Amino acid sequence: MTRALSWILSLTALASLVLLVGVFTWQSSVIWQRDGIAYVTGHSWFYRQQQFGAFSLLYGSIVVSSMALLLAGPLGLGAALFIAEYLPQKTRLVLKSLIELLAGIPSVVYGLLGILLLRGWVYETFERFEPLSGDTLLTAGILLAIMLLPTVVSLSEDALRAVPASQRRAARALGLTRAETIWSVCLPQARRGITSAFLLALGRSLGETVAIFLVVGRQDNNVPHSWLSPAPLLQAGQTLTSKLGGAETNIAYGDPLHWSAIMGLGLILLILTGAATLLGTVRRERNA
Amino acid sequence: MRPILTLGLYLATAGFVSAAPLKINGSTTVNLPVAEAAEILRAENKLDIQVDTQGGSGGGISMLGDGLVQMGMSSKPVSEDDRKKYPQCDFHETRIGEDAVALIVSKDVWESGVHELNKAQIKDLYGGKVTNWRDLGGVKSQRIVFFNKEPGRGTWEVFVHWLYGSPKLAPQVNFPEVGGNEETRNKVGSTRGAISQLSASWADGKTVFALAVSGDDGQPVEPTPNHIATHKYPMSRPLFVLTNGAPVGDAKTTVDFLLSPRGQKLVEKHGYLPLKALAK
Repeated sequence: MTRALSWILSLTALASLVLLVGVFTWQSSVIWQRDGIAYVTGHSWFYRQQQFGAFSLLYGSIVVSSMALLLAGPLGLGAALFIAEYLPQKTRLVLKSLIELLAGIPSVVYGLLGILLLRGWVYETFERFEPLSGDTLLTAGILLAIMLLPTVVSLSEDALRAVPASQRRAARALGLTRAETIWSVCLPQARRGITSAFLLALGRSLGETVAIFLVVGRQDNNVPHSWLSPAPLLQAGQTLTSKLGGAETNIAYGDPLHWSAIMGLGLILLILTGAATLLGTVRRERNA
Repeated sequence: MRPILTLGLYLATAGFVSAAPLKINGSTTVNLPVAEAAEILRAENKLDIQVDTQGGSGGGISMLGDGLVQMGMSSKPVSEDDRKKYPQCDFHETRIGEDAVALIVSKDVWESGVHELNKAQIKDLYGGKVTNWRDLGGVKSQRIVFFNKEPGRGTWEVFVHWLYGSPKLAPQVNFPEVGGNEETRNKVGSTRGAISQLSASWADGKTVFALAVSGDDGQPVEPTPNHIATHKYPMSRPLFVLTNGAPVGDAKTTVDFLLSPRGQKLVEKHGYLPLKALAK
């Protein structure tokens, strides 16, 4: 009975996933047929002229998410190490539940904080680089990093705690210091779990909409001229999600080509977040 | 017996109403308050209203002229050409408000001495040919930050209609986009060198300042309610609902509602000038 039920439920889950991807593929078929791969690599998106190149959106999403992960990763891992390895049991539980509470704060609240504190801070701090306003890719990246921290900390800490205590005792018995134990025993063994934490955080960051929408500036077609200069990070940009969350989605509805271009963005987003989350989950399962 | 009668009556009226829905079509700008009014009338007066925006103002005029809809929405007066084109239709304009678009700048730009712009300067600005306020009469060197109204906003339409004649003729630009009036005002107010289009009623003169705009005659005009009402200020347009002859039946109910204080509140809510403000 349980077995049959679990099969049915698993298949339902799989079917709904296939259905979801199917619907988005079907709805975006017009643009794929018209532009093919140029839809993803094209640099100009001007819907009034029926030009749909999604590259700048893809760029925005990836840049903002990578920045967020680059900032939240080391910081979150450090916090996780401290909580898992150094804190006494009682304090650890209190701190961890507090951090997990942070993960549950609605993203729009973070977005409002971003407007209140972060936008002005970025605008003033980087003044010498002449940002046009406080709405930049960097602002979105930092805000997203703050939002990712609880996820990174909590999942990395889980991974570290999953390393058996006997391993630590053995290492200490061999004469390793606490730091050495962490470095050569705990971290290597928790590696899978930690990368899975990062991947799940990446999945979350790619899909994040409201908070980014509020501080990213929503400037179309902003692709940097030079890939080496950090200056473009201080410009406004647009991500897949901020585009989809914007006014254009409502305008597109009813126009087959425009609508399919919008649904195409949805499909790309679905694939990106899906891949990151799936990869993260698989690694996590294997680790446990 | 009575429930059956009531039911019969209900069915009869329902049948009657659904047989002749009030169809409205036209301008997306006028659509905002009208669609909301239609929602209220549907709930409160059980009117069957369908509101659509095919072809904008032009679509509203032509579909009313062809008798496809009972009511049109337009953000321009019906021209003589249109009246000649549809002789069978007696276009009746009911003005429900006025939409004026101000160009607003941040405090530092205002204090730097930029108080007015002419059409050519605005074209250069929107087309990205000038990027520093010094080139537009500012004392200080300050980069220009143009916050563009996002697509679909009536404000943007008015702006490009005045500047280029039609949205299709506007150049392709990539500026950071802003949405609602509140957001526009906040962003312009908190950014140095900022400019954006904003419904005139939102320019408060404290955080953001409305520029005087000069049209073809070169005379700068400030977007005061008086100038807007008399059309001296160029970037404004009347908002009309159109009917074939004086409105009757459901159309009259709708027009009356739009002219009532509640309807006028909706006009105001979407950033337009209500008739009351125009009378001054």
